[in-house]
Amino acid sequence: MKMRCKMRPDFYVLNWSDVLVSLVFIAFSIILIKKWKLGLEKTLLIGTFRTFIQLTAMGYVLTWFFDQQHWAFMLSLLMIMIMIASFEGTRRQKKDIPHFFPAMLVSLTGSAIFILGTIMLFILDVKPWYSPYAAIPIGGMIIGNGLNSTSLTANRFVAELKHREKEIETLLSLGASPKQAVYDAMKASMHASLIPNINGLMTVGLVQLPGVMTGQILAGIDPIIAVRYQIMIMYMWFTTAAMANMIMLAIVYRQFFTKKMQLRRELLREKA
Amino acid sequence: MNGDPIFQFKDVSLRVGDLTILKDLSFSVNKGEFLCVLGASGAGKSSLLRMFNALSSPSEGDIYFRGKVVDSDIPSVRKNVGVLFQNPVVFSGSIKENLMIAGRWNHNITQLLDHELLSILQQVGLTKVKLDQNARDLSGGEQQRLALACTLLNHPQVLLLDEPTSNLDYKLAQAIMDLVDKLRKTLDLTIIAVSHDHLLMRKYAQRVILLSKGQIVDEGSFKALDKRQAFDKAGLNEDEVQDET
Repeated sequence: MKMRCKMRPDFYVLNWSDVLVSLVFIAFSIILIKKWKLGLEKTLLIGTFRTFIQLTAMGYVLTWFFDQQHWAFMLSLLMIMIMIASFEGTRRQKKDIPHFFPAMLVSLTGSAIFILGTIMLFILDVKPWYSPYAAIPIGGMIIGNGLNSTSLTANRFVAELKHREKEIETLLSLGASPKQAVYDAMKASMHASLIPNINGLMTVGLVQLPGVMTGQILAGIDPIIAVRYQIMIMYMWFTTAAMANMIMLAIVYRQFFTKKMQLRRELLREKA
Repeated sequence: MNGDPIFQFKDVSLRVGDLTILKDLSFSVNKGEFLCVLGASGAGKSSLLRMFNALSSPSEGDIYFRGKVVDSDIPSVRKNVGVLFQNPVVFSGSIKENLMIAGRWNHNITQLLDHELLSILQQVGLTKVKLDQNARDLSGGEQQRLALACTLLNHPQVLLLDEPTSNLDYKLAQAIMDLVDKLRKTLDLTIIAVSHDHLLMRKYAQRVILLSKGQIVDEGSFKALDKRQAFDKAGLNEDEVQDET
């Protein structure tokens, strides 16, 4: 890295006994739940237990990952993360979109290569370039944000196609190509998913401190350095959403047309 | 009508899943002709009309436009074959914006000046509107005329009408059909209309194809079909039609 982070001497290290003390929040919640007779005690206890086990296991797994200093391992790990995200994105679709899994795979891989590559090589300038300390958390953020954004956009896009079916066929009849005919539907779905990201750029720091920055400050990093990271992450966040959506839509819109430039109306109908 | 076929259907069938929508249709449409496809609801009229400008393709058989298979050059077919739908799509924005949307991928259209756009609007009888007027404020009949103007921007040779007057009252419906017939004569258009309303269509169409359950049950002039009581046989009862109009 270009710069070593300054750590405050009084930075707060949590040990296991501190974590156990935090169970007091759960105990308090259970009292409230019982008082209101919500019947959620058992579910909350299972959730509490699973959080502890899953995150502790993840901590050890990450520690092991961070020890694996090999580019092939890191790329394989990122590919596995992308495949899981693509599978999850496909599962989240309300309507079947033909070839949506490969579309997700291509869009997430494309945006991850460009954005993670730029950050690792030109912004953080990490050595070695595949350093797991940077690649895993940042790659995870890129893939996770890409997944959320593309899922939202794809769902909205299908709804737009359904809503604009006559408009699309009118435009095709006037001589538009399939891309021209669905351009407004693509624009509307992109707007719907990117506006929350733009709102995030507008309000960050005013309403709440973002998670990454909060975590770094709590871990004793100088707030000015934490802010720089957060700025980079906010820019990365938006570009990931925009890029992944554009790649995904460029693949997905084609699935709704035949080779003869006909709208596949059967894909927009409710299944009996 | 000069007997020169602009469209030819040869053994055309359309199936969607297990359902047969159209079966073994063979006929021609001559250049400059006003052809009307009549049939009751569910006869397959709209499915047939969609094939003329390749919005759908036959499961079997071939369709020829000016001697070439339609599927071989779909962009050219669509530019030459305009459609006026039952419920015209009017985009949000002004009348000018609608005309521009309709022609935004055609460089000749985007270069048109306001007075040229106004003359196209005049051609379809929209004489009292302004280009900056909100298109969605137009009445049903005016929106139909605007949709027609958008179609005419491509200088089509054929105009398809998909029950274009079914949402209009009889007087307005007649006015639209008068306009279409006038355009056919002045612009040398071929008109192919689908309708269930043979009372309205008999004033304009020179030839009728009668469709029932996806098959051609009769074909010819209104006079010939009247003689054979073909409309009754196809379920197009006159009283029923009068009720609807």
